[in-house]
Amino acid sequence: MRIGIVCPYSFDIPGGVQFHVRDLAEVFLGQGHDVSVLAPADEDTVLPDYVVSAGRAVPVRYNGSVARLNMGPVSAAKVSRWLERGSFDVLHLHEPITPSVSMLAMWAAEGPIVATFHTANLRSRIMQAAYPIVRSSLEKITGRIAVSEDARRTVVTHVGGDAVVIPNGVFVDRFDGAEPHPDWVGTAERPTVAFLGRMAESRKGMPVLAAALPEVLAEFPGLRVLVAGPGDPDDVVDDMTPQVAAACEFLGLVSDVDKARLLRSVDVYLAPNTGGESFGIILIEAMSARAAVLASDIPAFVRVLDGGEGGERGTAGATFRNEDPHDLAEQLLRLLRDPGARRGLAAAGRKRAAHFDWSVVSADIMAVYETVTDGASRVRPASDMTPRWAKILRVRGGAS
Amino acid sequence: MSTLDWVALVAVVLVALAWFLSYSAARLDRLHARVEATYAALDAQLVRRAEATLELANSGHLDPATALMLAAAAAESLAHADADEREREAVESDFSEALEVALTPEVLGDLRSGDEMTQAGLERVSAAGVRVQLARRFHNDAVIDVRRVRSKRSVRIFRLAGHAEMPRTIDFDDALPEGLHD
Repeated sequence: MRIGIVCPYSFDIPGGVQFHVRDLAEVFLGQGHDVSVLAPADEDTVLPDYVVSAGRAVPVRYNGSVARLNMGPVSAAKVSRWLERGSFDVLHLHEPITPSVSMLAMWAAEGPIVATFHTANLRSRIMQAAYPIVRSSLEKITGRIAVSEDARRTVVTHVGGDAVVIPNGVFVDRFDGAEPHPDWVGTAERPTVAFLGRMAESRKGMPVLAAALPEVLAEFPGLRVLVAGPGDPDDVVDDMTPQVAAACEFLGLVSDVDKARLLRSVDVYLAPNTGGESFGIILIEAMSARAAVLASDIPAFVRVLDGGEGGERGTAGATFRNEDPHDLAEQLLRLLRDPGARRGLAAAGRKRAAHFDWSVVSADIMAVYETVTDGASRVRPASDMTPRWAKILRVRGGAS
Repeated sequence: MSTLDWVALVAVVLVALAWFLSYSAARLDRLHARVEATYAALDAQLVRRAEATLELANSGHLDPATALMLAAAAAESLAHADADEREREAVESDFSEALEVALTPEVLGDLRSGDEMTQAGLERVSAAGVRVQLARRFHNDAVIDVRRVRSKRSVRIFRLAGHAEMPRTIDFDDALPEGLHD
C-alpha cells in the first residue's frame, strides 16, 4: 500500500507525535509498504530517506505551548507537490487541527483520508475560532483515530461524530531487552528512581517531586534521583533545598538506547505529571522495561495503568494523588521498602505493555487504512472545491 | 448614491451569494460522496464477514450444529446484501449474535489449537469483524456530517441538497465475540 503520512511538528525537535510518526512509518516500511512522511525540518537536518521536508518550521505559540510548525503559501505548494508525486492509496494526517502542514494537506487533498487526534486538551476558544475555517475540510476525513479516550472525547466534543481509539505504539522488546547500566542500578542503601522529561516545565511535575523528596530522604538518605531530559538543571535546582539538590543527578538529554537502559536499571520510574497528558507513552516504555511505575493519578495515566477496564485503580503501576507531595512520598516509600511489591508491579506492567506493542497497534491502524481504501480511488489533489461558475469562467477565459 | 452605485452594489451582493451557494453545494456534494463511499466500504466488509464465516462453517472444524447455525446466519446476511437498510440492520445484528453464541471462548480455544488453515479462517472472520466496526463508525461519522450541513438554513431554503435522500445512521450490533480480537 502507498501510504502518505503528514507530521505537523518539526523532526528537529523530539516529541511524542514525531516519534509516533517515525515509528509507524518504519513499521510499515518493514512490512513492505511504500511510506512517505511529510514533515517540517531545517535544511541542514539529516532526515531518514522516507521523510520529505516541508521546509523550515517557525516557533508558534498554539494551544498553550510553543510548537515549531510551518504554514504559508510556500509550504502549501510543497504539500501539493508531495501529494501529486506520491499518488498515495491513503493519506494519514496527524493532529489536523494545528496551523501546520497537516492542515494544509487536509485542505489540498481528497480521497481516502485518515486523521489521528493526539491532543486531549484542545482549548475550546481555539476550536470556536477555528471552527468556520476547518469545518469543511474536516469533513473530508473518512477515518478518525484518537490515541486515547481523552483525545477521543476532544474529537466528540469539538468535531462531532466519533473516533476509533488506537493507542500509541511502543517497541516493547527494545525496552525489555535493554542492558541495565551498572551506574544506574539501585542498591538497598542507595535505591534509584528515574524522572524523565522537560524538568523546567512544571506540568511534568518536578516541583511536586522536589517537595516530596525531603520526607523520602529522611528514611532513605542514599536515594538517587536520576533526571533525564532536556533543560538547564540550574532552573530547577534553585527551587530545591540543598539536600534535595544533592540527591538529584542530572543526565541531560539521553539517547533512546540510554533511556531504555535507564528504565531497565532503576528501582522505580516516577511520573509526577500534573496534567496536560493525553496518553503517557513513557509509562508504557517504563513498563516494557520492567520498571515499577509510580505515577500521578491523572486520568490518562490511570487508564494506561489499569486499562480503563474498571479494574482496581492502577493495577499495573502504583499511583498517588495528583499534586500531593505527601502522598507521593508515602507511596514511594512503600515501594522502596518492599522489593516484592516492586517485582509484582513490574511483572503486571510488562504484561500490560504487550497491548501497546507496535505489532498490535500497526495492525489496528492497517485495518483502518484497509477500511477507508476499500473500493475508493487514490488520494488526489482537491479540485471540485472550486465553484462551478469559476471553472466555467476559467474555461471561457482560456477560450477567448 | 447614484443608480449606478446601487446597481454595482447589488451586483456584488449577487456574485457573493452565487459564490456562497455554489461553494456550499460543492461541499454538500462531496459529503454525499463520502456517505456513499463509506456505505460501499461497510457493504464490502459485511459481505466479507459473511463469506469468511461461511468458509469457517464449512471447514469441518466446528460441530455440525454450530456450523449450521453460523452458515444459516451468514447466508441470511449475504441474501440481504441489497435489502433496504432497516432490514439489513436487523439481519446483521442477528448475525453478530450468532457469531457470539457460536464462538465461545472454549470454541475459540479449540479452533486456535487447530491446523493453520483453521487459524487463518478464524483470523479472516476476526479481521472482517473489526473492519465492519470501523466501516460502520466511519459511515455514521459521514452521515452525521451531512445531516449537520443539511440542517443549515441556507441549505434548506435554496434546496442545495437537491433530491438526494437524507442519509441515516446505520445501527446494528457489531460487537465481536469476546476474545476473538485483542
